[in-house]
Amino acid sequence: VDRNNFKTCDQSGFCKRLRALKPEKSQYSLNVDTVIVHGNVLSAEVVTVDTESEKKTVLWHYALKLSALADGTFRVELDEADPLYPRYRTQLALDGEPKPDGLKLVSNEQGKLTLINSQGHKVIITSEPLKFEFLDLAGDVAVVLNENSQLLVEPLRVRREKEDETAWSENFKSHHDSKPRGNEAVSLDISFPDADHVYGIPEHTDKFSLRTTSSGEPYRLYNLDVFEYELDSRMAIYGAVPVLYSHGAKRSAAVFWHNSAETWVDVVNYADGTVVSSLVNLVTGGHKRRVDARFMSESGIIDAFVMLGPSPSDVFRQYATLTGPAPIPPKFSLAYHQSRWNYVDEADVRGVDDNFDAHDIPADVVWLDIEYTDRKKYFTWDAEKFPHPAEMVANLTAKGRKLVVIIDPHIKREAGYFLHEDATDNGYYVKDKDGKDYEGWCWPGSSSYLDFFNPVVSKYYAERYRFENFPGTSKDVHIWNDMNEPSVFNGPEITMPKDCRHYKPPQDGQDGLASFWEHRHVHNEYGLWNIRATHDGMRLRSDHKYRPFILTRSTFAGTQRYAAVWTGDNAAEWGFLAVSVPMCLSLAASGVSFCGSDVGGFFKYPEAELMTRWYQAGAFQAFFRAHSHIETKRREPWLYDPATAALLRDANRRRYALIDYWYTLFYEHSIDKLPVMRPLFQHYPKEEETFTIDDQYLLGDKLLVRPVVEPGVSSVKVYLPGAASHTLWYDVDTYQAHAAAGWLNQPVTISKIPVYQRGGSIVPRKERVRRSSALMADDPYTLIVALDHNKTAHGSLYIDDGETYEYRNNKYIYAKIAFEPNVMTYTFVNDQASYPTRSWVERIVIAGIKTPPKTAKLNQGDKQVPLQMTLHKGNDVLVIRKPGAIMALSWSIAFSY
Amino acid sequence: QSDVPRPRGVSLSKASLYSPTKDFTCFDGTITIPFSYVNDDYCDCFDGSDEPGTSACLNGVFHCTNAGHRPQNIPSSRVNDGVCDCCDGTDEYANPEICSNTCEELGKEARAEALRLAELYKAGGHLRLELIEKGNKKRNEMAEQLSQLENDKTEAEKIKAEKETLKNDLEAKENDALKVYREAEELEKQKKLEEEREKTVKEAMEHFERFDSNSDGELTVDEIKVANVFDKNKDGEVDEEEVQFFFEGHEKMDKENFVTTTWPLLKPLLMMEQGMFKPADDEEKDPDVDGEAEEHQADLDSEYEGNEEDAGDLELQEDNEEQESDSEHSSTYDEETQKLVDEATEARRQYTDAERTVREIESNIRNIKQNLEKDYGLQQEYATLDGQCFEYEDKEYVYKLCMFQKVTQKSKNGGAEIGLGNWGEWAGGDLNKYSAMRYTNGVACWNGPSRMTTVNINCGLETNILSVTEPFRCEYKIELSTPAACDESSPTQQHSSHDEL
Repeated sequence: VDRNNFKTCDQSGFCKRLRALKPEKSQYSLNVDTVIVHGNVLSAEVVTVDTESEKKTVLWHYALKLSALADGTFRVELDEADPLYPRYRTQLALDGEPKPDGLKLVSNEQGKLTLINSQGHKVIITSEPLKFEFLDLAGDVAVVLNENSQLLVEPLRVRREKEDETAWSENFKSHHDSKPRGNEAVSLDISFPDADHVYGIPEHTDKFSLRTTSSGEPYRLYNLDVFEYELDSRMAIYGAVPVLYSHGAKRSAAVFWHNSAETWVDVVNYADGTVVSSLVNLVTGGHKRRVDARFMSESGIIDAFVMLGPSPSDVFRQYATLTGPAPIPPKFSLAYHQSRWNYVDEADVRGVDDNFDAHDIPADVVWLDIEYTDRKKYFTWDAEKFPHPAEMVANLTAKGRKLVVIIDPHIKREAGYFLHEDATDNGYYVKDKDGKDYEGWCWPGSSSYLDFFNPVVSKYYAERYRFENFPGTSKDVHIWNDMNEPSVFNGPEITMPKDCRHYKPPQDGQDGLASFWEHRHVHNEYGLWNIRATHDGMRLRSDHKYRPFILTRSTFAGTQRYAAVWTGDNAAEWGFLAVSVPMCLSLAASGVSFCGSDVGGFFKYPEAELMTRWYQAGAFQAFFRAHSHIETKRREPWLYDPATAALLRDANRRRYALIDYWYTLFYEHSIDKLPVMRPLFQHYPKEEETFTIDDQYLLGDKLLVRPVVEPGVSSVKVYLPGAASHTLWYDVDTYQAHAAAGWLNQPVTISKIPVYQRGGSIVPRKERVRRSSALMADDPYTLIVALDHNKTAHGSLYIDDGETYEYRNNKYIYAKIAFEPNVMTYTFVNDQASYPTRSWVERIVIAGIKTPPKTAKLNQGDKQVPLQMTLHKGNDVLVIRKPGAIMALSWSIAFSY
Repeated sequence: QSDVPRPRGVSLSKASLYSPTKDFTCFDGTITIPFSYVNDDYCDCFDGSDEPGTSACLNGVFHCTNAGHRPQNIPSSRVNDGVCDCCDGTDEYANPEICSNTCEELGKEARAEALRLAELYKAGGHLRLELIEKGNKKRNEMAEQLSQLENDKTEAEKIKAEKETLKNDLEAKENDALKVYREAEELEKQKKLEEEREKTVKEAMEHFERFDSNSDGELTVDEIKVANVFDKNKDGEVDEEEVQFFFEGHEKMDKENFVTTTWPLLKPLLMMEQGMFKPADDEEKDPDVDGEAEEHQADLDSEYEGNEEDAGDLELQEDNEEQESDSEHSSTYDEETQKLVDEATEARRQYTDAERTVREIESNIRNIKQNLEKDYGLQQEYATLDGQCFEYEDKEYVYKLCMFQKVTQKSKNGGAEIGLGNWGEWAGGDLNKYSAMRYTNGVACWNGPSRMTTVNINCGLETNILSVTEPFRCEYKIELSTPAACDESSPTQQHSSHDEL
């Protein structure tokens, strides 16, 4: 990375200004006489007082709103009571208005207000200095706001004459930011008593568990296109999700900082050796379990959601409830994707497609990067290289495969290009500080950027995706929105200048600076507006029949509702393979479960061992796509030596065998809102050892994965959690059971990465791996039953057509599968729902069986069929041969001993 | 043949392994199962042999007869997946209506194609015979040439030896005669050097005294810090680094050390200040660029014609230059000496000529030997193509293939020719070595490997390039047709003409 291109906190005006500000006492106080509690909302006036002078004159008036929301969540909003111009409120992050909860004022005495929600969570507001304490159900303080007096809302002001120029504009390198509104930053500190660690605020290349920042840079949240980004860094990269989770053995809690401006986050963990002891001494009672954080944003209002858990799953769910879960993705998108910058022409695409079959490697998607276009004009094709796109797509879909093409948000400024001409004529582009169409430099050369904040523009853009407007595409062509931070090669920090102007709905009396939003207000949200318009367009093109797949690079709170995310332009190095796990863990915890890294690394060339390990790791990450830079050597699996190609084939086959497990996980995510990829502590929240583990993870609550991310190893350390509950972990390759007892040394070979199935779980597999996942739709299942120490196990299975929204009309199956010593059952959760699948059960493998049953009998409908069984592997793996149960209907198998 | 009873997906040759009257033993011998388990849509054998006709085994193989066309083995995973893989449609028996039997049609096409190829190979075969004859002739000629050259070489070496003796004799005489002149010259040179040195010391002392402000005969760090001429990097102060530079680590300098150490470093700076000495930057830039370009050109040359002949030429040039500079100052000899010098010069010239002749012959021998060692195909059918060049134009580039030499690309928008590879080896693999050539070590790609080109060779009545593509970055592919490849007995030809059932 060229660090000179990107600001440090000191080079970012407000960060430098705010970070230096460490008042002993907060200036903010609540005017108790103004408190109104109505519905689920407390509103009151907050003022700042000049504490320097004797008279205590009021400096500024603010409007406070505290709302109680469903599921242990509170929202604190603080805006100016009467701002000079409206301050920006982030628009798209929330999945609609949050659901309210009841709120009651319990007491109001001695400057302290006590409130309680209908679940029993209390909030204590101290009026002077202003402080918010949120109590868990046990009555202990879980979250405190403004404990460290770092609450700040810089009021908007008219520029005084002779005022220092530096407050009203900033320079970075050769770029000038005119800052027409002056300073308007906001800041808030949050304390998490009893917390051992904090997590979240992706996207960074740092550890999953966040580190104390006192002696270095804060974590930065500012969506940026960072060329050759570096590892172990708190620098901002492509994504910014301002949610912070705390966890300790006692509880989990979280804060979502609802703000789309440039944001920096400081973290102080009191258990961290680097935290100065004087700070620790400040904490009463001398207990050292506590983490403090501070959000600082350049603009907007204070809008913080406090989530009280108390478990990790609870806080993850509470956040995903606010910003919405990912909808069920089209099934193909959970399979293997083959990409490269670039597959050069139709013959190349055909060759890649054919080679997957020639080498019997399953693949679902071929991708086209920017070179397919007519000289970087999106929604067009290079007529020489791609003269027959429809035919090319048909060739792919004949084998159940799909195509993804890239559409970036920069628009080539070229006379005669319809998009440019429409945008110019109709004023669809983002404007520069003087109100003219902003012009930057990107792939096509001189480019402008659509202003998706204008609903007319978003609608226009959405319509470009109609099949008739984008000839050659069909329902099987999906979209990749890259460069949407937005990336501007010649802009400050390779993005758009902050004083560019975005659309704001016209309102009476709002002119001048009040008539538009500046890019600084909305920056981190820009990509979300982009993919939302794409999502609308892709639904529009099929009359809302088919589910779209979109990949985005820019990421913000709420992105998961529209798109999958990948970790951008990584490199073929072991460190980048390793960091793909904590990066996706952090994103998944922050709502974005559909995450992956470029398999093999984007820059440079992965030698056989690295490539093998990356495929093996990628096969167990949600978004599984190989991709590479145009200047690197070609690296489709068959281009490696035959032994390596066979290992890559095996990795892909593992993915395809579990495709229905993945699909079920994503369905369950859409219902229960829990991450698909989970940190160990989510399910073992009392095991302190798990709090910092970020090189292994859980897929759902059933599989534990520890990818091999080190070269030349013959064994790796794996932590098996759940000793207290006598958990068993079955090696999925051998069915060997390990009793959970912490760290285990697991031997590995080049063909093995450690994956374990939890005792007590049932995982569906499809072992007839075909050319693409679509061709496996009707194939039979193998059910892997891993018994716990009570000889029971539970699982689930979701089935639908894999591509339409018909599941919303009850055209699906969601079944619970339960195994008990005497009976195994397959029953539908929703009796109203059904799907006419032709799949059946071809095999049931029961691992960990000590006393095998003598007989097994299938009951389905009015049929009763005796089943054959064989014992394997030291007599503890029982295989039921070809039960033949039909998955479209419920069934049970009775055992006798 | 197809009426022999056998389970679905089993080829005729394996039919006997599936006997309905016996239990079935997996091909790998590990398990024996009732025959009713064969093709029952459940995988029992590790090797997949019990399910030849279903998709139950991941490693199974399905055989389709494809009557009317070629039989085919496909992976079991393609059975009943909704895609028609066998032309007889038998792989999709669960939904027979989705596939129509296209074997007759395809077989007809394949037979027509085979016929066309056979005719092409027949016609091309005649041309190939001619090429073989010419190739053999060319090689014979080369062999003859070689033995002639070997004779010439012996002769030329003899002459060279004679001329060398003569040259040595005459040079000895010349040397004696010139000794007197050389000694005088040496004295003159010494004198000039001494004068030069004195001048330097005097100049140095003048400056030394100027900087030695306390006139104690020693320069100290403080003394030079005030003299801005020591401010080498012109940042306004004489810093530690600069002191270190001029004093070479000493704290002070006496006169003697000043003259030997500091002065040579200081003088260029003084001259520069006085405008006598221009900084190197401006002047050097252009020649530097030229130099690089030349170097580059030289690189290209040696890449393409990288034989030792060039190196020989260069040596000769150097020799000539030496001689010229020798004769330059030989203006004032007496008559007798001059005669000796002239004779020696003539002897040197004759020796050089003789030497060159030997080298030229040797170079020719090397070339011919190299060519004789080249693999021109089983019967020398490619020998006459050596050195022949073929061009191909696409939208942007003109490609040129010079057989057994090199491949180049030239942009139609101008610019230098880019080497896409030099003759490397035959690359057709074990089956048909002569079906492809590889040209390697072309110009390196930015951030990537050296360019290389694979030439796929097919039978055609004329030798020409059919297409040039760049399937992988910096890896080019040329499709070439030539009668030299029309070998009716070659394995690929056999394959394509005998595969109908």
